[in-house]
Amino acid sequence: MAYQNIFNRVQVHGAPEPGVPHPKGGIWGRGKARFSRLFGRVGDAQVGPGYLGTTGLLSLLFGIAAFEIIGFNMWASVGWDPVEFIRLLPWLALEPPAPEWGLRIPPLNEGGWFILAGLCLLISVLLWWVRMYRRATELGMGTHVAWAFASAIWLFLVLGLIRPIMMGSWSEAVPYGIFPHLDWTTAFSLRYGNLMYNPFHMLSITFLYGSVLLFAMHGATILASGNYGSHREIEQIVDRGTAAERGAIFWRWTMGFNATFESIHRWAWWFAVLTTLTGGIGILLTGTVVDNWYLWGLEHGLVPPYPEVFPGMADPAAAP
Amino acid sequence: MTRRLILLVCASFVMVACERPPIETSQNGYRGTAMVDVSNPRDPMVAMEYPAALPAAPSSGPKAGEVYENVQVLGDLSVAEFTRVMTAITAWVSPEQGCNYCHNGAEFASDDMYTKVVSRRMIEMTQHINSEYESHVGGAGVNCYTCHRGKNVPEYIWFEQGDSANGNKYFMGWRNGQNRPGADVALTSLPSDVFVQYLTANDNNSARVASDTAHSPSPKEPGITAAEHSFAIMANWSQSLGVNCTYCHNSASFQSWEQSTPARTKAHHGLNMVRSLNSDYLIPLESAYPANRLGPEIGDAPKAYCLTCHQGQKKPLGGADAITAYPSLAKN
Amino acid sequence: MSMLSFEKKYRVRGGTLIGGDLFDFWVGPFYVGFFGVTTLFFTLLGVVFIFYGIATGPTWNVWQISIAPPDLSYGLGFAPIQEGGLWQLITICAIGAFVSWALRQAEISRKLGMNYHVPIAFGVAVFAYITLVVIRPVLMGAWGHGFPYGIMSHLDWVSNTGYQYLHFHYNPAHIIAASLFFATVLALGMHGGAILSATNPHKKGDTVKTPYHENSYFRDTIQYSIGSQGIHRLGLLLALNAGLWSAICIVISGPFWTRGWPEWYDWWLSLPIWA
Repeated sequence: MAYQNIFNRVQVHGAPEPGVPHPKGGIWGRGKARFSRLFGRVGDAQVGPGYLGTTGLLSLLFGIAAFEIIGFNMWASVGWDPVEFIRLLPWLALEPPAPEWGLRIPPLNEGGWFILAGLCLLISVLLWWVRMYRRATELGMGTHVAWAFASAIWLFLVLGLIRPIMMGSWSEAVPYGIFPHLDWTTAFSLRYGNLMYNPFHMLSITFLYGSVLLFAMHGATILASGNYGSHREIEQIVDRGTAAERGAIFWRWTMGFNATFESIHRWAWWFAVLTTLTGGIGILLTGTVVDNWYLWGLEHGLVPPYPEVFPGMADPAAAP
Repeated sequence: MTRRLILLVCASFVMVACERPPIETSQNGYRGTAMVDVSNPRDPMVAMEYPAALPAAPSSGPKAGEVYENVQVLGDLSVAEFTRVMTAITAWVSPEQGCNYCHNGAEFASDDMYTKVVSRRMIEMTQHINSEYESHVGGAGVNCYTCHRGKNVPEYIWFEQGDSANGNKYFMGWRNGQNRPGADVALTSLPSDVFVQYLTANDNNSARVASDTAHSPSPKEPGITAAEHSFAIMANWSQSLGVNCTYCHNSASFQSWEQSTPARTKAHHGLNMVRSLNSDYLIPLESAYPANRLGPEIGDAPKAYCLTCHQGQKKPLGGADAITAYPSLAKN
Repeated sequence: MSMLSFEKKYRVRGGTLIGGDLFDFWVGPFYVGFFGVTTLFFTLLGVVFIFYGIATGPTWNVWQISIAPPDLSYGLGFAPIQEGGLWQLITICAIGAFVSWALRQAEISRKLGMNYHVPIAFGVAVFAYITLVVIRPVLMGAWGHGFPYGIMSHLDWVSNTGYQYLHFHYNPAHIIAASLFFATVLALGMHGGAILSATNPHKKGDTVKTPYHENSYFRDTIQYSIGSQGIHRLGLLLALNAGLWSAICIVISGPFWTRGWPEWYDWWLSLPIWA
């Protein structure tokens, strides 16, 4: 079988690529580069050199603070037993305050830690956004990655800050835990009458699946025409060669329509961005504008008419 | 080699954790809606049967209440029938200890054993269930064995969890009554101390968290916390009966009765029944128990929930008739 | 007309998998080929069945239309047309059309001297579909376990199927699949953003940036840049695994697990190592 271009069979390297020249040195400069054979199997073997910078450093510190607050609260919740901590880890969480606190700040051990962890995480994420933005401009690049990241931050903000404030209670926020956040998700759907009937949830899922479809199509197209240098996408964008032509024609012949080497990345960016953007809108509208999505769907003609299977079913609590 | 072995061991744990086909399914809704009950016949469920009914006794002759002293329940039975019921109860509840588990052997009429006081109230409770809750137990009825299964104390009872459900008291580690693989909430991390709220008589006991109207502004309560509590008690019911959500509900709209199955109506009556049993019978017995029968956390009386009778089956003991042979347990 | 300026030199005969020269031609932008004909056949037939189902059904409301599989009582047999038979026919047509489409992609790949990544990738999606409507129903013993063909009705099916296992989010394969879905979107956003930011510099009129800039950007920010070749491998790997694990998560629900998914974790909680 011919080489299928899904991993590297041979790895050779010389000195690490230093990257676009960076003006600063010392602790504000770049770190050292290393090589990883494992990473080299699929992608570039070079790891680093990385750059920390002020925003990066602060972001990491706040991120670590949030991580530690969450982790130590989990550990404390099992009475500081290390074995139980590992055994029960997927069930553990840092819980938001109880509903009676509303938007007030409770004592640390009744949800105060949750607020503090959220604050640290928020600062960390926002600083990281600044870093992504400034790194791009300092390299002379567009800020597309930062804005895509902003769309994910939007969803995070809606879940943990905007919606709880609009609902008037921190207890509406998502707990920091593996299974507990899944419980939150299902409880959210149960409380607001079936999230599947939320049109923005539908859109978000469509973009989510669409993104996966797009990446499969795009990744496969590039790999399948690797012989023609398709992975040199920027080169193909500014100076179209046979790789871009074949990629385009493949889809034109298949489905009558094709993107270009640049526009496929616009499709990609929008699909990824819209996944969290529409998702955030869907969450924000829930409980603030619409209280029961199934009944909303009923009002708007969404609900399919199934034949009645158990005639005469009625609420026994309503019976006289 | 070692790596492969570790992988193999891990994989076998995961495989052993699963079941295998073929499975059993039954449809309880319109086709294509996935209103389906699934079960695996290899699911290890203890198949129990009621002990064979004792031979009928003559109903003529003097009444037990006239012959014996201090007979406060079942006193209008003939002595023969009374003895028959007592014998049956012994087999259901204390097959090893016999009569002396409840009765002072020297003085049967004496009330000085707490077990006698409790079992008298339990007989009244059984009569209450069979006569007042036809809507839930109709067709099969219950007797002592439905819950006790030959044990002094039914295997599945619940106590309040108290403060320990809130996690570490000092500085950090508060967990708000949740975040454990709760044995009573199907191993989810949902709140596991939800029974007082739903299964006793109080003002805040509605599990109906979904709104009746499509549009907000909605009241702040019930919020997500309330929804998690509701989900938790439903997980408990589901686990108790060995069924899933679609046994009663169409999840398109959990609240809609029109789309629910008749099992939901039955469960509704069961809920009212359990509330009545806990509030009117079981909780008031608290002072009658010795300390070792009370809850380990706050010293509350043992209480009932769905699992107490159902024990993993849709109908306790497969829906077998528990009462026809003992009509005195169905009286008012 | 419907040809791109550079397309003519690629429109050469040969390279078909089946049918030789017979169907080796184009209609508008579309390549036909033998599998184009079979795709069209199955698609048209399927669409006719769908419209027949809609026309004889209760509604033309696009959200409410639903063509449901048979009752479970039909088991793995054929059902009457209006009792789920239509669903069975449409399923056959859909599988025929999807498989034809994949083979057509293979043929086009051949004609263009490309490898077969696209048809293989599409094959994973088709496999996930077949898992839903064939493999799992067969394992569970009735076609009625397939999902109905309708916008809202298939969501109702998803919802009920999820709650059949109490809390589907705990399904370990679902956790993996969902993580892969999110990871794919993350990677797609980063890749799309990287290419766009290199080709659309921050200052208007600036020279287009290079892969060295992309590498610098990701190495500076997150220590690692997978490279212009690697990102497509990673993307494809993530996307295909998202589909594959989705198929796994549904096929184990029922045939290999009938209780609530949270209870599955009992094996972890009772591992001997905790004692």
